[in-house]
Amino acid sequence: MATQVRPEHEFDVQDLMINMGPQHPATHGVFRMVLVVDGEVVRDVVPYIGYMHRGGEKLSETMDYRQGIGFMDRTEYLAQFNAELSYVMAVEALSELQVPDRAQWIRMILCELNRLSSHFMFTGAFGTDVGVFGTAFTYSFRERETVQDLFEEITGDRLMYAYFRPGGLAWEVPDNFVQRVREVLKSVRQGIKDMDGLLTDNEVFRARTVGIGAISAEDAIDWGCTGPVLRSAGVPLDLRRTEPYLKYDEVEFDVITGTTGDVFERYTCRIAEMWESIRIIEQCLERLEPGPIMPERMPRMLRTPPGEVYMRTEAPRGEFGIYLVSKGGNRPHRLKIRSSCFANLQALRDMTIGSYVADAVVILGSLDIVLCEVDR
Amino acid sequence: MTTDDGAQQGSESGAAASAALDGTIWPEVDRALAGVTASAEPSVLDVIVSIPRDEIVRGLRALKQDPSLQFNYLRSLTCVDNEEEGMDVVYHLYSISNGYNLTVKAHLPADDLNLDSATGVWRAANWYEREAAEMFGVRFRGHPDPRTLLMPEDMTDTFPLRKDHPLAEIEVLQGEALAFPSGAGGGEEE
Repeated sequence: MATQVRPEHEFDVQDLMINMGPQHPATHGVFRMVLVVDGEVVRDVVPYIGYMHRGGEKLSETMDYRQGIGFMDRTEYLAQFNAELSYVMAVEALSELQVPDRAQWIRMILCELNRLSSHFMFTGAFGTDVGVFGTAFTYSFRERETVQDLFEEITGDRLMYAYFRPGGLAWEVPDNFVQRVREVLKSVRQGIKDMDGLLTDNEVFRARTVGIGAISAEDAIDWGCTGPVLRSAGVPLDLRRTEPYLKYDEVEFDVITGTTGDVFERYTCRIAEMWESIRIIEQCLERLEPGPIMPERMPRMLRTPPGEVYMRTEAPRGEFGIYLVSKGGNRPHRLKIRSSCFANLQALRDMTIGSYVADAVVILGSLDIVLCEVDR
Repeated sequence: MTTDDGAQQGSESGAAASAALDGTIWPEVDRALAGVTASAEPSVLDVIVSIPRDEIVRGLRALKQDPSLQFNYLRSLTCVDNEEEGMDVVYHLYSISNGYNLTVKAHLPADDLNLDSATGVWRAANWYEREAAEMFGVRFRGHPDPRTLLMPEDMTDTFPLRKDHPLAEIEVLQGEALAFPSGAGGGEEE
């Protein structure tokens, strides 16, 4: 692949190929990329994915609609509720299930909390990438832990929640749910302020991120980027606003956009989104009322009529889509997971070519990839 | 959602289908696809447009370049294996400026899985087509980088997401390669 345009040199020089990964702490999972460098400058990048491919789409076709929920947690293991939501909403859209209001509000609260915990993971890992080693991670994980604790109280599991069901929720939340969410939010607010103070105006952090890995809005759209990567380039595409699902049309929040689409703005977009998530959760808590969490009449075995649906939701990393084709029966005929990181990662080559080797790691980190979701 | 067509899905009769397409973006799409043979059916969220495979890239490019539609964003590209009925290549499009959604399908007969590549229309199609090629065996003509993506580099003759592919294929493959004793099980005779 070393056929890129070479600059004119006095001597005959050879591009050096550096293999990075698949076992590398800065690749956030099992990801390999071959960097073709000329001195310090990256001339070409060849990403290799697929190390985590588990054939999840094929597996989902052998599982019924209830079993498939668990697989979604394993696909997107940092935004499990968001992934489950896409799946259950796809099943609901096909089988025309009406979800009770209370279940929808609780789903919204959990999805936004999940966005917070996922973005904390990002700030921690990204801080480590740019050189604020350890400190960013511990501060982030202190707050992430409070959110994780809440999830554990509700679902009984710290990672694989499997809490959403087609039609509603698996069981009622604990009695002190509202109070606990408020406690968590209080702690999270402090956490965002801490991260903001630690990183945003940090001189080293700015020097490593401002103006690095920029992508234009046209390129980002053409590569299919979504989420903070696209919004930081100035495109206000947020599915919560453009195609509202759940109750997102009844709450107030701002769609955060940037202008330059560089690494720094991808970070600031995420920080600003965290404040918006808190705003959304607070409005949800106001509107939360007692009521049923499942439809009154649910079949014992869920079967969908023949048909197909492409259900998409705004996950922390962008659009998470489930393309579900049913031919009747209790399991999908075809289930395609549209992963947000998969498309964002495609744009990596464009972003990295021409930057320094040291920045390649920062650019990769700014995409906030989850390799389990990329490879499925 | 933006294009809600009611519950007329699955109805093949022309009158019912065209009634269900009222109020959708199908008339716009039909106009933009002048010169391309296209048919539409309603679905739960989006309209599904079928385009013959010889005209698929022309149709997709028309949809992208039409000034009032501007489907500039390829959400997803995938295949659906319908076994002996052939294979569908499914494109999910979105227009960022207008907020329109559209599903486009190209049908391939089971014995001829060739299709023109859409990478010239959206660069995003690159990896999606590589994945569809290795998982389903569809050959995308004119693809700039036809290597495997998720599968091992040399695994170009088996297509794991096809319906006729066994779920636990590793045992089948290894069984042949390792030349287990013939008959099921291997160790049962002891």
